[in-house]
Amino acid sequence: MEKKVRKRISPPRIPPVKPPVKPPVKKDKTLAPHKLMLLVTIVPRRKAEYYVDLIASFECNMQLSVTSFGTSGVFGLGYDIDKQTIFSVIRQDRVSEALAKLNEKFTTIRGGKGVAFTVPFTSMVGVSSYQFLSNKQ
Amino acid sequence: MEFKHEVIFCIVNAGFSEAVMDAAREVGARGGTVLHASGTANTDAEKIFGITIQPEKDVVMILVSSEIRDKVLHALYESAGLKTEGQGIAFALPVQDVVGLTAFTPVEKPTQKSTQPTEPQE
Repeated sequence: MEKKVRKRISPPRIPPVKPPVKPPVKKDKTLAPHKLMLLVTIVPRRKAEYYVDLIASFECNMQLSVTSFGTSGVFGLGYDIDKQTIFSVIRQDRVSEALAKLNEKFTTIRGGKGVAFTVPFTSMVGVSSYQFLSNKQ
Repeated sequence: MEFKHEVIFCIVNAGFSEAVMDAAREVGARGGTVLHASGTANTDAEKIFGITIQPEKDVVMILVSSEIRDKVLHALYESAGLKTEGQGIAFALPVQDVVGLTAFTPVEKPTQKSTQPTEPQE
């Protein structure tokens, strides 16, 4: 008698699922460079040094402090018209943080009320200048 | 991209910053900041055009709402422009974010109550 050989029918082989291949992480230097902005801060002259130091803590490498005067309509009533205008170059990703901190200080420091606003840069030239202003290598 | 605020720079001869602010206030600007500066005029141009350019300048910086920007610029052109004694140049830059501006609430003058008796309504 012939021995019946039963062939084992194996279930269809499912190819192993390969994990999705992650795209290689781009290095920082391939990302678009951060934009720069001019931060203008007008503060009472007595408090200017404090605000310069505060802004410098947000990776601001270049600041220009200019003596200026407020044009308030209440001259002669003890209103402090002596101001200092601070022009700072700041990276765009630090702007919101810096403005929030400045706003907090404007409201909490006695006699430290001021105004701050940002003006976007449209262009600039020089790699090393950009690296210096943006504090990025 | 629209901006809510703009900053107007007006460069005038020294001593004309008050004229600039008066003109700006008339059309709704609230306050400004004056910086002293010195102009660097081209001496050749001065000879050619027969004019003398005063090197001492005032730079008036006024933060305004975008809605009144054109009005303010026009007022500055009229009262402190190049054809005036102040020989001013004004331009505006867009401002992205602002902090520290307080809402302006004008003080209302108390209205005098009429002493005349009102007519009874039917």
